[in-house]
Amino acid sequence: MEILKVQNLYKTYGTGDTKVDALRNVSFSLEKGEFCAVVGESGSGKSTLLNCIGALDSPSAGQITIAGQDLFKMKEEERTIFRRRNIGFVFQSFHLIAELNVEQNICFPLLLDYQKPDTNAVSEILDVLGLRERRHHLPNQLSGGQQQRVALGRALITRPKLILADEPTGNLDSKNSQDVLELLIKASRHYQQTILMITHNNGLATSADRIFRVNDGIVTDLGGKFESISLCAGKGE
Amino acid sequence: MKTMKHYLALVPILAKTHKKQNRMSVICIFLAVFLVTAIFGMADMFIRSQVLKAKMDYGNWHVQLKYISEEDAHLISTRPEVKNLACYGTFNYRLDMGYTLGDRDVLICGSDENYATEIEIDMISEGSFPQSETEALVGENARSALGLSIGDTISVNAPDGTTHQYAISGFSKNSAMITKKDVYYIFLNTEGFRAIFPNPAGNDPASYNSIFMVQFHEYTNMRKAIAEIKESFSLSDGQVGENTMLLGLYGQSGSDFMMMIYGAALLLSMLVLLAGILMIASSLNSNVAGRTNDFGMLRCIGATPKQIIRLVHREAFFLCRRAIPLSILCASLLLWLLCALLRTLSPQYFGGMPVFGISIPSIIAGILIGMATVFLAARSPARKAARVSPLTAVTGRASELAPVRKAANTSFMKIDTALGIHHAKASRKNFLLVTGSFALSIILFLSFSVTIDFMKQAITPLSPWTPDLSVISTEYACDIDNEIFRSLQENQAVERIYGRMVAYNLPISIERKEAKKKETGNKEIESINTENKDAENNRTESNETSKHMTCDLISYEETQFSWAKKYLVEGSIDDVMKKPNTGCIVFAPSYEQNTAIQLGDTVTLHTNEKEAEIEITAIVSKCPFAASVGSAIIICSEETFRALTGEERYTIIDMQLTKNASEQDVTAIRDIIGTTYAFSDKRLDNDNVLGTYYSYSLFLYGFLLLIALITIFNIINCTGMSVSARMKQYGALRAIGLSHKQLSKMIVAQTCTYALTGSIIGAIIGIILNRIVFERLVAFRWGIAWEAPIAELAMILGVVAFSIILAIRAPLHKIHEMSIVDTIHA
Repeated sequence: MEILKVQNLYKTYGTGDTKVDALRNVSFSLEKGEFCAVVGESGSGKSTLLNCIGALDSPSAGQITIAGQDLFKMKEEERTIFRRRNIGFVFQSFHLIAELNVEQNICFPLLLDYQKPDTNAVSEILDVLGLRERRHHLPNQLSGGQQQRVALGRALITRPKLILADEPTGNLDSKNSQDVLELLIKASRHYQQTILMITHNNGLATSADRIFRVNDGIVTDLGGKFESISLCAGKGE
Repeated sequence: MKTMKHYLALVPILAKTHKKQNRMSVICIFLAVFLVTAIFGMADMFIRSQVLKAKMDYGNWHVQLKYISEEDAHLISTRPEVKNLACYGTFNYRLDMGYTLGDRDVLICGSDENYATEIEIDMISEGSFPQSETEALVGENARSALGLSIGDTISVNAPDGTTHQYAISGFSKNSAMITKKDVYYIFLNTEGFRAIFPNPAGNDPASYNSIFMVQFHEYTNMRKAIAEIKESFSLSDGQVGENTMLLGLYGQSGSDFMMMIYGAALLLSMLVLLAGILMIASSLNSNVAGRTNDFGMLRCIGATPKQIIRLVHREAFFLCRRAIPLSILCASLLLWLLCALLRTLSPQYFGGMPVFGISIPSIIAGILIGMATVFLAARSPARKAARVSPLTAVTGRASELAPVRKAANTSFMKIDTALGIHHAKASRKNFLLVTGSFALSIILFLSFSVTIDFMKQAITPLSPWTPDLSVISTEYACDIDNEIFRSLQENQAVERIYGRMVAYNLPISIERKEAKKKETGNKEIESINTENKDAENNRTESNETSKHMTCDLISYEETQFSWAKKYLVEGSIDDVMKKPNTGCIVFAPSYEQNTAIQLGDTVTLHTNEKEAEIEITAIVSKCPFAASVGSAIIICSEETFRALTGEERYTIIDMQLTKNASEQDVTAIRDIIGTTYAFSDKRLDNDNVLGTYYSYSLFLYGFLLLIALITIFNIINCTGMSVSARMKQYGALRAIGLSHKQLSKMIVAQTCTYALTGSIIGAIIGIILNRIVFERLVAFRWGIAWEAPIAELAMILGVVAFSIILAIRAPLHKIHEMSIVDTIHA
């Protein structure tokens, strides 16, 4: 089942001499439960792609469909609600809410929907993420790895169809990076969720089912992990 | 690019990169300094305007000494602190001694020359002070009425039949009392005055009804000088009279009331200073605190904590460099505008106000407050910045907002509201500073609003019915020729003319429809009536159907009835105007008899020839004149008056003149009236009242308006600052799924938390201070009971609510326009 479909996507910044084509004619699609990595050099357009897919930024042209719904045909309010119910985000710098404890942070998207969180579901996620003991801690009382796990829990709580992760291990050491990645894969398998992850880490990219390479705004589908390793290695990454 | 020679050269560069954040701090410093400079400047200009007016109204003297000898007076005049001492005397002041000039009574004054030239302001309009016993200054009204010029001779007739002749040495300006009473006055030198003075008891000045006016040098300690003079010459309190108004304005009054005013002024000044300090402190706190990361980076590169502190201080002063001169300029512009308004409104009194007046004390206060507060306010964030460890700066964690100690409570409120409230309370210091500055705006408004009550008590503004000129029957009878009324009506200079027929002290009896006291249902009357209730009930029981007393019956025409409508308590003025034999009672709680007449009563008037009935169909709370002692006032239409009394002529005719009416016009009007009736020119008196009223209203309402405006700007700026500080966080929240509506709710909750807490604290302290200031300024002098300032509170809370709406709109609109990615990176 097709979860994400990107068609003829363009994103241009500035005009005239300062014009930059961040994304050029990008088209691809992702199936349910797929775990994909996006690699590319700094400034190649990876984050722009993720921001457009996550409706954090609007494309200059093209279409993005998630679970059959065109993101940019929706009104702003509708799109926000769609996003919080269907897309989970994991950022490099966590972006946890300092005023909320671990449990509240995880439940935050549900609270935004004015829903009462299901205690079993929350406990299950806390267990999966190994945060049960720290459920009442504030973000500033957690390590980086723990904070990112909370962010992961927040992305998972609504059981979104798509999880977008922008260098989720960028601020973590290798042990924590590995843990977070394993949790992502586990979730993807367990909840049949589609994951699109930006990473600079080749080791992490190899864990993905599919790899996309972004270069000067052009996205190339590198296919399965074994091919990508060789291609990445060929580029010296 | 310019080479940097010192690390502090970074300050202007940082200022450029943090333009947006700095702009808000600059606005805050600007507002605070503007508030202090403008309010102090307005107070300064207000005092200057009042000094000008007091000198014109009462003369430029500070104390007057009675019953002292010429020798003592001379000794006092040689004291270093005394600038001028002049002998001044008067007689026939009550116009009852029979001295006349031409056809009118004449008031005779005499003084030393320096009284006319130094102590009175602009007294001599033309010519010079009398140099010999046989010369006199004559009032301007006599000049125009008698066609006099300098060098002419006038004759003052004494009651004993003798005539005193004087050559006119000059003319003197009219005073309000002279024109109102329509009399003449002459001014002689001391020798001349003593020569005409009738039967002096001795040779000392007191025998000539003379006193000594003392003018001190402006910057002397007048209180000390007065005490020393009293002690040296063994003068009693009764011998030394003070010009309380002028001394008070110089801050040198010893009167209890002025002490109360000084106390209130000190309290209000402290509040203004505190408001300024809080505004600057809250802005700098959030500005510097929001940039701790930058300072941490500098620490990382090698800056010592001391250098960071210096940098933050320098930055703060860099902000002052722009904000302070701008605010002083704006405050001065405001002052010039107010002074220009004052000069235009009342040129007679305030023509002397400077065009580009500079208030040095207010500028000094503004600069000091600005610089000192900035220095103090920057201290704590500077220390905080210096404490940032280089490591946290590198990892970017220093840029995070203030560390949170307690999680937000999301179980009772929706998440957006809960977070908004939590954001407001996140930093205790910031919360205190912002709510403090909101609260102070409210406190300032409530405290300053008492000055309006003070003004209302101190000055009775002109009523719409106040006449410029009046013609009054000398016999207080209905005998003014109707032809005069018609002639005056046709006069171009008369804008409005209205007459009244008055029958004084008419015996009346009252018939009540219901024997028992009627429940009028009118709370106002009930409350005023309380004290008379028992007496009245007794009367009602003992004499159920009729009472006997007297009344003044007065006729109104249409214009006067239209003014009376504003004071209608009960009933209908239209009925009184149109229905024959109906009247309107003026409610006067001081006359017990008056309260006996009620709506619906039938009053029987007992005139000489007949009896006539009048039904009371309206009650008004106020009328422009007082009743004869022990009488009630009943107002009726002219038709009713004529039908009841048979009189056809007016007792009083009032006139309001056109704006362009000249002295010639007034003379022409006088000629129409002739000498059969009394003539009263109240224009000077009215100008005096108007001048005082304008100056008070302009400055006092100016204070309130300024405080309200500062409140609006402060709330807008504070909200803008707190939103900018959390922009990144808002972006992240939006990314996770916070809708625009929810974000709006969050910001509204945050701002409302500040505003609500500030309003509650402000209202409580404000009401307490309002009471304290009221007791000092109003209750002490006029004995009026304090009432909670509900209307003022509602007004300022309305301003706060309006400011919140304004304050939230702009940042929300901005966030709405920005993409989420831009918001995160903002």
